[in-house]
This record gives sequence, C-alpha cells and structure tokens, in this order.
Amino acid sequence: MPPRRDGRRNEETRPLSLTFESLARVDGSARFSFGNTSALASVSGPIEVRLAAEHPSEATFEVAVRPLSNVPATESKAIASAIRATLEPSLILTKNPRSLVQLVVQALSPSAKHTWNTTLAAAMINACSLALLNASSVPMRGVVAAVAVCHSITGTILVDPSDDELVDVKSCGCFAFIFADQVGVDDSRSDCVWTSWKSSGGLDEAEILKAKEMAQRSAQTIYRALRKAVANACGLEVDESMTPEEGKSESEESEDKMII
Amino acid sequence: MRPPSPSIPEKEFLFSSLKESLRLDGRTMLEMRTPSLTFGSDLGWVECALGKTKVLAQVEAKMVKPQPERPFEGTISIHSEISPMASSDYEPGRPSEDEVTITRMLDKVIRRSDAVDKESLCILAGQRVWHIRLTLHFLTDAGNLLDCACLAGIVALKHFRRPEVEVIGDDVIVHLPSERAPMPLAIHHTPFCFTFAFFPDASTPPVLDPSHLEQRLSAGVVSISLNAQKEICVLQKLGGVPLGADDILRLVDVSVTKAKEMHSFVEASLMEDWNGRNIEVR
Repeated sequence: MPPRRDGRRNEETRPLSLTFESLARVDGSARFSFGNTSALASVSGPIEVRLAAEHPSEATFEVAVRPLSNVPATESKAIASAIRATLEPSLILTKNPRSLVQLVVQALSPSAKHTWNTTLAAAMINACSLALLNASSVPMRGVVAAVAVCHSITGTILVDPSDDELVDVKSCGCFAFIFADQVGVDDSRSDCVWTSWKSSGGLDEAEILKAKEMAQRSAQTIYRALRKAVANACGLEVDESMTPEEGKSESEESEDKMII
Repeated sequence: MRPPSPSIPEKEFLFSSLKESLRLDGRTMLEMRTPSLTFGSDLGWVECALGKTKVLAQVEAKMVKPQPERPFEGTISIHSEISPMASSDYEPGRPSEDEVTITRMLDKVIRRSDAVDKESLCILAGQRVWHIRLTLHFLTDAGNLLDCACLAGIVALKHFRRPEVEVIGDDVIVHLPSERAPMPLAIHHTPFCFTFAFFPDASTPPVLDPSHLEQRLSAGVVSISLNAQKEICVLQKLGGVPLGADDILRLVDVSVTKAKEMHSFVEASLMEDWNGRNIEVR
C-alpha cells in the first residue's frame, strides 16, 4: 500500500486542533481544525426568537454558514441545511419552546476548488459540537463528530484527505456520527446521522460500508478529543470509560472525578 | 428584534465616571485598546483584535475582464457582512444601520482613498486585469467594529501577495508561487481609522476607541481616517453632538499621533510575520 504524502497511516487524521475562542457576545464558541482546514463556530441560545420563526413546542434551530471569501451563496446554504440536519438529533429542543438557538459557522480555510468541501464540512460540524458543549446552554442528547473519507484512484480508502490527496479521487464524502446513550446497535452508543458520499463511476455498496466503518473509528478518536478539550477547559480529568456504568463503579471510590 | 438598552444604573454610572475622566476598563480617555494582529498560513489572511472586538480579513485575487470604461485599471471589491456571530443583535439577511455605516466607511477608506494602485493591477489592457476581493468577517462586536475592520482590511492588503504574471504578446502566463515569488500589491499609503465617541453632557471629554457600552450610550461619533503622512482620507460625523472647529482640530491632532504609532506597529508586525515564513528565493 503506497504511503501517504505526509507520512500518515490510512486511518489517521491530520493533527487536530481544538480551541475555545471565548468570543465575547455569544454564549459559546470554538475553533476546530484538521491540519490547516479549519472552521469557527459560535452559538447563542436559547435567545429571543422573531415571531415568524417561533415554534410553540420547541426551540427554533437556525444555522448560518459563512464562506471565507465572498458573500454566502448557494453552497453555503446547502452546507448550512446539512449541518442543521446533522446536529438536530443531538439537541433536545423541546426543553426551550418559543426560543431560538442560533449557530453561525465561519469557514477559516478557503473552499476547495475541485470537490465539494468534505474536509471543511467535517471541521464545521466538529466546531459546532464543540461550541454547543462550550455554551452548555442547550440540553443535548449526545455529541456529533464528523470526519471526511475518500477512496483514492489507487484503491485505498483514506481518512481525512488533505487538499492534494483530494485532487484525484474516485469517491469522497463526509460521515457524521452521534455519540449518545441508547443509539446504535448492540450498545455501540454511536450511529451515523449523515453522509455526503458521492462517487464518480457508480455507487459501490461495499465501498460505502467500508468507508463508513473507517470513518466511525476515526470519529471515535475525534469524540475523545472533544471530551478531552471540554474536560481540560473545566480543569477536570477525562474519565476514559465510555459508559456511565463503568464510570459509576469508579466514582464510588473517588468523589472528585466527574464523568463527562 | 430590538436590542435591549443598557440599564439606568449602567448609564448613570458610565456618565458620572466619564465626567471624571475615568473609563470603566481603566483606560485613559484617549487611549486605544492594544491592537493584536494574527496572520494565517495563507498570505492575505489576518485576524485583528482590539481588546475583545475581533475582525477577520482575507484577500484573494482573480483575473477578470476589466470594465469597458476603464480598460487599464483593476478592480477591488470589499465584502463586509455582519453575521450574528458578532452579536445576536445583528440579524442575518438584513443590514443594520451600523453595518451600512461600516460598509460605506470601508469603501471610502480603502477603495476611494486609492490606497491600492489600480493601474498596477492591469495585466493586458482591455482584456485581463486583477480583481482583488477583500472579505471581512466580524467575529465579535465589543465596540468600535469600524476601526478594527479598517485595520484588518488594510493589513490584509499589505500582507497579500498576488501571483506573478508574464505577458508575451497576447499570451498571459500566470506563474505558480513555487515557480516565481508572488508580488505584493502596490499600496500608495496606509490609511487608519480612529473613532471618537461623544456623550450628551457637553462637559464630558470625548473617548477614543469606545467600548461596547460607551458606543451604545454615546450621543454622537466622529471617525477620522488618515495615514502616517498626516493626510486625512475621511472625516465622518453623522449627526450627533454639535462640535466646534477647535474640538475637531483637537481630535485630528490626537489621530495624527495615533496614526504614526499604528503605522510603526503594523510595519513591525508584518516584518515579524515575513521573517517567520520559510521562503527560499532561488
């Protein structure tokens, strides 16, 4: 198997960078990067909603995407509605009816010229999850983590392709997974909520399933990174156990550790 | 949605402090917040912060056909939409009054002051010119978005490098940055903008670089844009408190000093960034 240009393994993402921006006028904000593909998300909510968008039994969830250059156009609207559909399962909007949860995502890297922005979309979704966790004002059912995967023309499936790897690919797409209790089969606690897989030359079911599997493992790593970032921000240690049951037996011994 | 007005105790406290020349964040009346410039890995990407106010500027260039009435000049376009990220007071889709003022001021300061030489952007007369697009993103509005935006815009233009082109007859060859070092834009002068806020009580002195609360409670605002060579590009006073000519001249004097300081700060930051980049010129 040919090695990747930057020396990574096939299932390895570029170095992740997670920071809390602490933007002053919003409730939560965070920046997420895969290498130099990065996005900044801010969330305000629940805040006052305008009458036209008011919903009697749940909060209105609005997502706005802003590209790095030029005014937002069709592509931004498409990514915004995709991000909205991806994050909505993770939010419990019924707890705050007649209010607004406003999410604004700012691309910090230029849009890809040849393919649809798979890596940027993944960075945006992760930034949104991190911003929502930072705000802690909207009740959440789980956390969504996303990663881009591509099938290169040499036949290998690569996780988090860099811009030069995306130049000649057979198919590529972004997969988003929700990590929560009571989702997924067999207590796996993770389920795919969205994908943007597109292929030149027909869709191969086996290929998509293999890509999804690789993406799921990678998304677990990203989810762990998100937890660690939130824990570090609170000055706490990360509890490596993935289920509450495992954590409970340990917490009986030490009261100070908090399960995140 | 009407933004919530500051409370009466906040208003009274601010006015009484300002009367005694005390600002709530501890600055003196004519002290600016320390600007900070963060450059990205791409040339022409800069994030500018004045205290908590943050603006991101990005410059890119593409080749287009020039306007028929000006075949020897390139074009510059500035995009500056305020998103709800700056503050939930800004609604998406509907430009607020502040946004319109900022857009118009940016246009005057950066485009109409001829900071960037448009004729140097010409590649092939009448057929190909460079179109420079400056996009500004307002990340936080903690007062004085205008000055922060002007600073971010002009620094991004100075930071940006366009690809080198070679014209042989009617053929235009665009060289990749790896083949030939990209060229900086021809910038005539570096305009900076300084905003002063005035308050309803005439005995209260003006403040430079108002914070969010000071801006909201101000009765009028004067913005002066000039460069380090003491040339005034724009002097804007949209209504507000009536001021005498002496007051205006005093503000201009203050701005002149600040412009010099700002200019040396910007040059130092650009030099530091440039030295930090590994650029091998063969």
